[in-house]
Amino acid sequence: MRDYVLLYINGKRHQISGERVFQPLSDFLRYDQEMVGTKVVCAEGDCGACSALLGRAGDGTLNYQVFNTCIAYVFQLDCRHVVTVEGLKGHNGLHPVQQAMIEHFGSQCGYCTPGFVVAMAALFEKRHDLTEQAVRDGLTGNLCRCTGYQAIINATLSIKPDTVETMAERFPALPMLDAFDQHSQSSVLIEYPESIQGKTIMKRSFIPSSVQEAVLLKKQHPDAVLIAGGTDISVQMNKEKIDPQTVIILPDTPELRVLELDQENLKIGAKVRWSELEIFCKDKLPELHKILKVFASDQIKNCATMAGNIANASPIADSLPFLFVVNAEIELTGIQNKRWVEINRFFHGYKNTDIQAEEVITQIRIPLPKPEQFLKLYKVSKRRDLDISTFTAAILVEMVDDQMIKDIRIAYGGVAPVVLRLAKTEAFLKNKTFDLENMRTAGKLAREEIAPISDVRASRDYRLRLSETTLEKFFHEVSQTE
Amino acid sequence: MGTVGKAIPHDSALGHVTGEALYIDDIPFAKNELIVEFFGSPVAHGKIKSLNLQKARQVEGVAGLYTFQDIPGHNIFGSILADEFFLAEELCEYFGQPIVIIAAENRKAAKQAKKLIQITMDEYPPVLTIEKALEKKQFLGVKREIKRGHLQKALDEADHILEGSFFSNGQEQFYLESQAAIAYPGENNEMTIHSSSQNPSEIQQIVAEGLGIGLHEVVSVCKRMGGAFGGKETQTAIPAFMAALVAFHTKRPARVVYTKDDDMKITGKRHPYQTRYKVAFTRQGKITGLKADFYSNGGAAADLSTAIMERTLLHADNAYFLPNVELSGTVCKTNFPPNTAFRGFGGPQGMAVIENILEEIAIFLKKDAFDLRTLNCYGIEENNITPYGQIVSHSILPTLFENLAESSQYKARYAEVVSFNQRSKTHLRGMAMTPMKFGISFTTKFLNQGNALVNIYKDGTIQVSTGGTEMGQGLNIKIRQIVADEFGIDLENIKLMPTSTEKNNNTSPTAASAGTDLNGMAALDACQKIRKGLVRFASQHFASREEGIFPSPDCIHLENGIVYDERRPEFTLEFKELVMLAYQAQVNLGARGFYKTPGIDFNRETGKGSPFFYFTTGCSVAEVTIDRFTGDLRIERCDLLMDIGESINPGIDIGQLEGGFIQGVGWVTGEELRYQENGELLSFSPTTYKIPNIQDLPRVFNVNTIKNPHHHINVRRSKAVGEPPLMLCLSVWAAVKNALSYVSGNQIPKLNIPASNEEILKRLTQAADSSVPFGSEENEIPLISTLNTKI
Repeated sequence: MRDYVLLYINGKRHQISGERVFQPLSDFLRYDQEMVGTKVVCAEGDCGACSALLGRAGDGTLNYQVFNTCIAYVFQLDCRHVVTVEGLKGHNGLHPVQQAMIEHFGSQCGYCTPGFVVAMAALFEKRHDLTEQAVRDGLTGNLCRCTGYQAIINATLSIKPDTVETMAERFPALPMLDAFDQHSQSSVLIEYPESIQGKTIMKRSFIPSSVQEAVLLKKQHPDAVLIAGGTDISVQMNKEKIDPQTVIILPDTPELRVLELDQENLKIGAKVRWSELEIFCKDKLPELHKILKVFASDQIKNCATMAGNIANASPIADSLPFLFVVNAEIELTGIQNKRWVEINRFFHGYKNTDIQAEEVITQIRIPLPKPEQFLKLYKVSKRRDLDISTFTAAILVEMVDDQMIKDIRIAYGGVAPVVLRLAKTEAFLKNKTFDLENMRTAGKLAREEIAPISDVRASRDYRLRLSETTLEKFFHEVSQTE
Repeated sequence: MGTVGKAIPHDSALGHVTGEALYIDDIPFAKNELIVEFFGSPVAHGKIKSLNLQKARQVEGVAGLYTFQDIPGHNIFGSILADEFFLAEELCEYFGQPIVIIAAENRKAAKQAKKLIQITMDEYPPVLTIEKALEKKQFLGVKREIKRGHLQKALDEADHILEGSFFSNGQEQFYLESQAAIAYPGENNEMTIHSSSQNPSEIQQIVAEGLGIGLHEVVSVCKRMGGAFGGKETQTAIPAFMAALVAFHTKRPARVVYTKDDDMKITGKRHPYQTRYKVAFTRQGKITGLKADFYSNGGAAADLSTAIMERTLLHADNAYFLPNVELSGTVCKTNFPPNTAFRGFGGPQGMAVIENILEEIAIFLKKDAFDLRTLNCYGIEENNITPYGQIVSHSILPTLFENLAESSQYKARYAEVVSFNQRSKTHLRGMAMTPMKFGISFTTKFLNQGNALVNIYKDGTIQVSTGGTEMGQGLNIKIRQIVADEFGIDLENIKLMPTSTEKNNNTSPTAASAGTDLNGMAALDACQKIRKGLVRFASQHFASREEGIFPSPDCIHLENGIVYDERRPEFTLEFKELVMLAYQAQVNLGARGFYKTPGIDFNRETGKGSPFFYFTTGCSVAEVTIDRFTGDLRIERCDLLMDIGESINPGIDIGQLEGGFIQGVGWVTGEELRYQENGELLSFSPTTYKIPNIQDLPRVFNVNTIKNPHHHINVRRSKAVGEPPLMLCLSVWAAVKNALSYVSGNQIPKLNIPASNEEILKRLTQAADSSVPFGSEENEIPLISTLNTKI
């Protein structure tokens, strides 16, 4: 058992233990290491000012991706190499993205700029040529209030990918890989006594080395918070909504990292990150791919997982309506056995799931839609990209002779405390002609089946309207009237 | 060759991209520095019944807790009307209003103490909407009016009259660097304060007055800001004072840095406006009369609200000649944080109303709104006087209309929009062109002054200090360019120093787009003073009795780092050699420059005058697509054309145009402030308050400038550029209104600001249901009754 996190920052080795691991990396960088280039604005992963590059071992090298340091706690970053804006300058002076940002007037007030240059650098790690759309997709996670982004796009497009020194070239990977190899076999427990108002509690952070160990720990510490990507838990900790005494980090075991297509089923391990799934499903599940594009920023997708999205049990989790209509199954691993639960039976109420005290989600199994089925996914939000949904929907229809509805499944999110399957609407449409009139009538029925509220994102009225119009929109899209 | 007119990167660009540029919270902590937090009102409106700090005081690491009773000087301040408290005394008038300042050794202790402060309140119902404030007759300042002609006559004789009401919601500045300040106590009463402020002189003043010391005891510094947009013109006062008070009492450095959440919750924003209007027009669509009553939601204290309302009235005409007008402006007092400056300063709200009216007239008359805008536009020789009596001189507005219509292929694309809307069952397109004319100068006359300090050192390098602050807009590089050209030397030899009240006194806020105008001119004045002495000295140096060349300063040239007499160009001195020789000859190598804007004045009582030195103008064409089923809005293309005079730095200025425009697009589309019924802001972080991101940029975005041959004034014949482009965003909003008109039958579709997806779908639904007439409801700030935590 090890009592420290091994973390490299800009090539420099750090062994961090005790209280210092219980803080976001951004705070560690700024206030412990006095590396103030990394800025913090929102402390919730929505602005990208704190972006840095996260180097993880894979295929005999370190692969670098952009991530938000404000929602990555130090205890999650064992055996990683982080490159901050201070580490971008290479052997030949400024990184090309830095030079381009200067020349193209890509900075005004400069506060978002370190985050931007890091995110831009990530785009060139593979030395691919970039389209303008790829630049926009890659920088979705960074907000700028001054420039209107055009100059930043221009700067990024001006760079020749083959002139870029990648991070793997800049920071020799082998010594770090060796150190990671030596360290990753052992479990980690870091604890420190925290006293608040005269009371002392022992704060603990575990990194088990197997699923079995994780399950056992969960049994021993029933109130422990389990972390996969941590992109939501960290926000809750930053905003002081939760203050877990014990955290357990799910390890990157082969079992949890599985991502494969097994006949008609897509198998996704609990530690598969959204960005990996996005690439994997591009051809196999284009409709899901389309949603993943707008669903979150690269920073988030490079850390967050589908298992986390499910376990978090939010009624507006973007993946849920899709999982509902395809009848996905969730693998729960306990101490003795594994069991599979259908997603349609998994949620009991608001933030209340079927997971038992000594179980963890280990895998998600998704039956792919059949060729005769049409699948459409919808996400309505205040802003198209990187925004929490106001309303989500998934509709899966199977037709006979292109006009009779043989089977239809409709799931809406953001309209009730849990994602809903619209049983009455589905029943009404079954064996009906697929036409505008029926879909409109179905829309009226859908309205009756939901109980949305007014909140910061939208009014109840807007959600009611969307529940109606979405079915009409679906009709037009499937029947391909413009 | 000079440097003015060249695209030279931002002064701090290198520091920005490497992360080496320091902002307030990046300054290394002093050894004994304290962290400052605050405890704010738990209600939007109420009286403090009891306040118990005992438990909080006992937290280990707490260095002090301070209430209004610990303020040695005045607890009251305000830029225009002194009606705002640093710390609430008894009455709390907005949610989160600071009551207790907490000083602690570390963040943990500060947070812990905050949780242990016990307060009980007598809660009163908050007044949140304009309607409610009107009902209760709660106002800030007096009602303002601007009148011209005979409105009643125009209404009586009109072919048509339309009336209605219009609502525009507020907007959060969303500067990325939240409010921050550090105070360093000195000997005796000395206090140095570094703050992220557009207005160091005001910080100096409020700190001195709050601490009960002379202004001469306080040095107020601002190196740079991580964005401001008006949000740091007055709103830095409270955080800066918090740090100063702690430093004053503890004699230790003290740092306050708001979290983004706190910043958004308790600082003021762009004002929500409700406007009632009545417009008379001819069959052809020419406006003959306009009555518009503007009501703004001012929040709990005056702040800059009355000046902002003044600018609204002065921009209610936008670019249109209005022969008969009655405009009034009333600021309503409500229980929100005091609303404040935000790029445009009331101008956007004024212009939005007239642009709404033009869209409505066009829909009513079934004409292309472009033609109506051309018809009503200010003329060159006639119809060129504003309602307040200023001549719109040196205007090229008609040329802007023509050129942009042509370069954007307006007519052809408009026809395509019409045909698209006939074809598509799922989407709607809309298109609009809106102009913008923005008056440059502070409408408070005395603020139109600036001073600068220029010091040349013995090696020929120069330090320049002005009262202007750098918030990203590129002021520093522009002033360096101006100074470099005056001495004919390279930019590398000139450094812009942090803004400090020690070097520049009684300065105006860097605001009203006038930063470069005022400070550039002041710097120029200082340079010219030094130059005069240098040139006189050089003329003596190059003179030769034998050659019959007598000293003549007019013949001396300073260019490319070289000094020479044009009659003997073979003899040269390097600039730095000249400086050293001049120094040895006891020539003064430093100067203070001063500038005041000439020829402007405005009588508030009569609503008449020429408050503006000149106008910055522009036009924009926008095309949008709307999803008929979700209200989702996509901006297809925007073309901007601006007259910004002779640009000092085109690279910087294009950035201002693009950035200002997109910021405005946020205001008119996706940015929506939503509050709870108790007055607490719900959309207080980027998770729930959505500023435009990189995907929201128009698919096609053309930004160009046009030459104005008539513009001969201002520093290097440039024009102010900061605020004006923001208001071009109204083209996007008007394009949405245009799109709705294709499905509204004979009705005029109503559309508020912001045209959020929800607002658009609501209007589409109304359009489809003829039983609900448009405009049947008043609109206000969305107040949510059920608090939802399902994130």
